[in-house]
Amino acid sequence: MTTIRVLAAALAASALLAAGPPAALPVAAPIVLLAVGELWPRALALDLEPAAGRIGLGLVCGLVSLPLITLALHLTGVLIRARSLTAGLAALAVLLGGAALLRERSGRPEADPRWPRTLGAIAIPAMVALVVGGAAVFAYVRLPHPPQPGYTSVALGGWAADIDGPVAIPHGGLDVPIRVSSAGEPAAVAPLSVLVDTLRIAPPHPVPIAADTTSSVHVHVPAPPNGCLHRIEISLGPASTVFYGRGPAPC
Amino acid sequence: MILTVPVAVRSTVTLTLAGAAGATALVAADRAAEWERPGSFALFWLGMLVFTLPAAYWACRKDIGPASRAAVLVAYGCFTYLPKLLRNPAGPLYHDEFAHWRQSHEILLDGRLFEANPIVRVIGDFPGLHSAVAAVSALTGVSIWHAALAVLIAAHVLVVLGVAVLAEQIWRDGRTAAVAALAYGLNSSFLFFDTQFGYESLAIPLMIWTLVALHRAIRGPRRTSWVVTTLLLAAATVVTHHLTALGLVAIMLVFAAALTGRRGCRPAAWTAWLLTLAAAGLVAGWLCWVAPKTAGYLDPYLGKALNQIAGMINDSGSGGRTLFRRSVAPWYEQKAAFAAPVLAFAAIAAAAWRLRVRRDPDPVDRGSAVAALLIGVCYFPAALLILTPSGAEGARRSWAFSYLGLALVVAPLAVALLDRRARLAGPALTALFAVLLVGNTAAGMNPSYRFPGPAAYGSDTRSITPEVRAAANWLRATQGRGLRIVADRYSGLVFGSFGGEFPVTGSVTFPTYDLYLTEPGRPVPPALIHQLSEWDFGYLIVDRRMAEQAPEIGIYFETNEPIPHDGRPAFTLGQLTKFDHTPWTIKIYDSGDIAIYRFDFSALGGPQ
Repeated sequence: MTTIRVLAAALAASALLAAGPPAALPVAAPIVLLAVGELWPRALALDLEPAAGRIGLGLVCGLVSLPLITLALHLTGVLIRARSLTAGLAALAVLLGGAALLRERSGRPEADPRWPRTLGAIAIPAMVALVVGGAAVFAYVRLPHPPQPGYTSVALGGWAADIDGPVAIPHGGLDVPIRVSSAGEPAAVAPLSVLVDTLRIAPPHPVPIAADTTSSVHVHVPAPPNGCLHRIEISLGPASTVFYGRGPAPC
Repeated sequence: MILTVPVAVRSTVTLTLAGAAGATALVAADRAAEWERPGSFALFWLGMLVFTLPAAYWACRKDIGPASRAAVLVAYGCFTYLPKLLRNPAGPLYHDEFAHWRQSHEILLDGRLFEANPIVRVIGDFPGLHSAVAAVSALTGVSIWHAALAVLIAAHVLVVLGVAVLAEQIWRDGRTAAVAALAYGLNSSFLFFDTQFGYESLAIPLMIWTLVALHRAIRGPRRTSWVVTTLLLAAATVVTHHLTALGLVAIMLVFAAALTGRRGCRPAAWTAWLLTLAAAGLVAGWLCWVAPKTAGYLDPYLGKALNQIAGMINDSGSGGRTLFRRSVAPWYEQKAAFAAPVLAFAAIAAAAWRLRVRRDPDPVDRGSAVAALLIGVCYFPAALLILTPSGAEGARRSWAFSYLGLALVVAPLAVALLDRRARLAGPALTALFAVLLVGNTAAGMNPSYRFPGPAAYGSDTRSITPEVRAAANWLRATQGRGLRIVADRYSGLVFGSFGGEFPVTGSVTFPTYDLYLTEPGRPVPPALIHQLSEWDFGYLIVDRRMAEQAPEIGIYFETNEPIPHDGRPAFTLGQLTKFDHTPWTIKIYDSGDIAIYRFDFSALGGPQ
């Protein structure tokens, strides 16, 4: 393939990356990378035996182009985004293609007849590997796996999730939102308790927890007896949340 | 060269069938492991050998053309990525994978390189891999993980091709090149470690291709072009991984030294020295100006390993480690792991003898062969480090470098044996291949990294449960990203990656593990509280499994932690639940094993 065609392929694929539909991107990106990778050896007049070595060198150069462009973008203060990367790849392709074309003005190197054959020979196992490996991974992922250990979590929810110090609790007490989440465990009923210091303020209240759901429970916490620091624990089964509060009366 | 169609077709059909059978056995092995059924190891090796042995057979055949041989090597490269791909097809699993996943995610979010990484603190300074992955993800729209897989599979195949090309440069024989590539694939990091989403997985192929370019630069023609390519690839290696960059300079140094003083090698030696100096300059410049933290990051590992070797010598074995202690690896893996260095020594000794008696007409190629021998010999002193807890990691990593020399220098010997005594050498080399593959892989990676299995605390790969991920997601959703949190190693991986937080898992200068170690009713060291408060740490993660199970890999927080590891949990439940009763810790989340506390340092004056 002539250098001008490789360059054209790189630029066309870059244009597709810049403006093409999302479905085309996974196809266009490898084309740009392979084309840019192929332009490196042409620009630097590199030849390598065997033909597979030449193809490998092109792949390495294509791969190396990506960190090179991201570093260049970083150093120039441009954010690394799809558009800036595409522009960088197109610019690199033009630079390398231009250098290769300039060099080829003094005499185009003879095309290696083994190159397309080797490329084909490499592409076949790559495609077979993609199919066989892809099928193996697909099968493994889709087959049933042992269940992961389940859990039930309790967390301070709503405004209470932002509690970062002792809470001032008014005379009438506080409704504290609690987030309850269950995953991988069967439906259950767990006792809900509120403890102020070591005192359980009411008998445990049974709360149903549906399997694999997240729900919110509002728990009434009565005002502590005075304004001293009191430990408040809201527990649901073995899980609990703990915060500290002060009552309205003086300490 | 005309493609020999019947052989090419036969090899393609055979290897396709073998690949399908091997892949099926690998899937069966992982399923047996995850369901805790027996036979996972046997199925795994059946799957590996059912493909790799026919691949080796076809690669070594005389009547196969270069294109078909390249096809076999590409198939070999693709197939040998499958064990790692099946291990975690959907997302990061190994320790460093979380760090690189986070780093790629940060690039996609912020568009910048060199962001600090809380999981592996120097990763941000070596952006080669995650910038490539983030770029592929941004360009194609696929997930970070799928972009990483595309880059890593390409890099893995490039390792195989690169070794073959380098060997062909030195020995000028396609069969020898193929054998060298297959032999390099026997190193302990090839199947699992250098296939992970970690910087060495890209840096190793870059290093190998730098050596290909170096060899062309020193031999010519088109020296200038190859000098530029060598520098470009060396620079890419430097920005990708610190140890590989240092290893590259060391290997280049050996090449330059091996060429120096050799008749007919004067220009080659000069070129080699200049390129080595230039590469060393690139490494030194990067480490000084861009990644100055690297020396401090690497230093404790090497220093402690040397101390432990000294301890082993002086105190009759104290400071050492017992290989395969409490390992579930089957007996044949353990025996093969011990046999592998012995067999490698015999092979390299024979190769050295052959190198001595056979005179290569090209002095540059002979110098390169001597360099490969010297690099290969380094495999054996590194094996000593495997006996120390701190040096084991470094020893395993060094084998990816030393095995390159070993593969390059042993390959022509294997081909000569096949040519002269095919009947005897064929089965013997097949057996050697199998023992080295099994033994080196077993020595390189714990079974919990290689196989799925039940959840277990203290394993990078098995302690990440849905419960931990849910806690990390909850913290990010309700409190935001980038929070400074205190955590253990395993929670830190999830909170630092998927959670997007900034976990600290402790160090000598910032011993956050003292929070956990403090006995109930005893005060936490005030200096630590002061540090946490000054540095704006807001949250504490407690994994109560620390009081129930001893960590599988012998680490709770970090490698140098002052915590005993005697097979029993080092923490009591009281030490971990004491935060339920300290007014400066508000328990905002609890899911049984995982609790999240918010620090309220203002409450430390005591109840008012």
